[in-house]
Amino acid sequence: MALVELRQVCKRYTLGETSIDALKNVDLDIEPGEFIAAWGPSGSGKSTLCNLIGLLDEPTSGQIRLEGQDPFGISDMERSRLRNCRIGFVFQGFNLVPVLSALDNVLLPLQIRGRVSQQDKAKALHYLKRLGLDNHIGHRPQKLSGGQQQRVAIARALITEPALVIADEPTANLDSVTAAGIIALMRDLNRQQGTTFLFSTHDQRLIQQVDRLIHLRDGAIEADDRLAPEAGPAVQSCAA
Amino acid sequence: MLTWVKMAARNLARHGRRSGFTMLAIGLGFAAVNVFSGFTDYIFSGLQDTYIYTQGNGHLSLFKRGFLGQGKADPTQYLLTAAEQKGILEVSGGMPDVALVTPQLDITGLLSNGEISTIFVASGRVPSAVRAIRGQGPASLRKVGLFNGKQLEDEVTGGVGLSSGLASLLGLGLGSDAVAMAPTVSGQINALDIEVYQTFESALEAMNDKQMIVPLGFAQSLYDTESIDRVNVLLKDTRRTEAVRAELERRLAARGLAVEIRTWQQLSPLYAKVKDMFDVIFMFLFTIVFIIVVMSVINTIGMAVMERTREIGTLRALGMQRGGIVRLFAIESALLGLAGSLLGLVFTGLTWLVVKIAQPTWIPPQITRRVPLEVHLVPDTVLLSLCFMVVLALAAAIPPANRAARMNIVNSLGHT
Repeated sequence: MALVELRQVCKRYTLGETSIDALKNVDLDIEPGEFIAAWGPSGSGKSTLCNLIGLLDEPTSGQIRLEGQDPFGISDMERSRLRNCRIGFVFQGFNLVPVLSALDNVLLPLQIRGRVSQQDKAKALHYLKRLGLDNHIGHRPQKLSGGQQQRVAIARALITEPALVIADEPTANLDSVTAAGIIALMRDLNRQQGTTFLFSTHDQRLIQQVDRLIHLRDGAIEADDRLAPEAGPAVQSCAA
Repeated sequence: MLTWVKMAARNLARHGRRSGFTMLAIGLGFAAVNVFSGFTDYIFSGLQDTYIYTQGNGHLSLFKRGFLGQGKADPTQYLLTAAEQKGILEVSGGMPDVALVTPQLDITGLLSNGEISTIFVASGRVPSAVRAIRGQGPASLRKVGLFNGKQLEDEVTGGVGLSSGLASLLGLGLGSDAVAMAPTVSGQINALDIEVYQTFESALEAMNDKQMIVPLGFAQSLYDTESIDRVNVLLKDTRRTEAVRAELERRLAARGLAVEIRTWQQLSPLYAKVKDMFDVIFMFLFTIVFIIVVMSVINTIGMAVMERTREIGTLRALGMQRGGIVRLFAIESALLGLAGSLLGLVFTGLTWLVVKIAQPTWIPPQITRRVPLEVHLVPDTVLLSLCFMVVLALAAAIPPANRAARMNIVNSLGHT
């Protein structure tokens, strides 16, 4: 079973009397463990695709299934829970909570879920250490560099052991050296943990690393290229 | 939960100036309500203690049924006979809540210095009983000098007290003699000599040129009667007033005594009027404070929602439910309310301390002498207003917090 299935998905934005079709009849399957990028010019529908797959927005028509389940046939509350449990997000602007430390930011999705145990804290520390942030655990985002902030954001996306991590332009705000490090890090995590990554990007360095490249133009998939088919390890299940 | 509280506190600290002004508004509102409540409590307790203890009226007064209605036209027809007095004294004196029972007869007539005469209104009391009632009052009231001259005595019935205005009107000083005249209960004119034992300032300015205090024996002699118009009852605990009134009414009815019992609140018109007036002023003040607090909190939380739109989008993307977003801002607002109230508590305490040290005095309306101005600290009001401010701040945050919770996630994430 595909992790994500899109069938004839359309997304139309209406602004006054003007309507824009951001996505047009998109069919797409994403398999567990894939390292996949959606790319294309501005306005091609990359971010819209990520938002729909990330359950941040609803399609105008068509069907999306996540692990076989229709995420738009359930309540907002249940969809929030599903997002919290099964999807991790890495944003272009890092989107860390400025008043929380690196550790608290990483623990945030678990905090949203409920109580945070000592085991959870140990796991967060493990991720921070693995991402080279063991000396910045108590630092707030303003004390961290862009690369460090993005690594905290990656740790935050992984702490719930999600089935899918969606990263929208994750390297856009980083210098080339830091960006290369972040790309390598995500690739390692994909290979070692089997976490599925979906990127929206323009970054050629990132595009060169992915297994599969979806080329979008004017809201439609123009090409779907499997660049380096590799079988990753089995996807870890997420504790609900 | 601790993370959300920590996050709320840090967000407030992050916008220190804005949060500070809101806390200041809440604090000043809190202090305004509590200082005013403290002042009204001082006024109410002052009026209560003055009526019950200083004026020696006790907590309850018992009248013959009809005295307070038809009896106003001809009080002498509604006096309590000696037999009725005995029954009342036996019943009320036997109740454990009762500290003291004393009779009273109010009289009116003319007072003459031999050349000119003027109307007087006198209260005929048992001087030793009145002293005993005053002795039960608060220490601060016992220290206040109520008259110039010497104390009235139970046995010396001609030794009376005159209000300063009445003494001045008739040119009478301490030790002066005069004649009091009044019709007896049977309608004949009676006259008795008096000696001015004391002069005092009437509690009511309008009565200062006609008020007298006389021993009960003098009042009964002038009216040529053994009857009285009321029995005053002092209780051990003011809070038991209503309960004792009901029980006393039941016991007296069982004894076949047709009496009406009035509490001190019912008989002190000044207390009721002043209370009503302060209640209205308090409502105005409270409404103003309410509006200021609500507007301040809505403004602060509204600004926070606007500035943190992207953060709200992030939290929603990470799985926080709409209720969680509302809770986040509600906690922030409740903390604002709590911190503002604590600041207000400090302001209230400082005001109390300044008044305590400065000991200002003032002349309240209808009072003829300067009295100390006080502001009481009323724990119940402090606690209630603290809870109220927190709840109010929390409630005021709900509309902007709800707006935040209902934001479109994608739009929020794109907000800069």
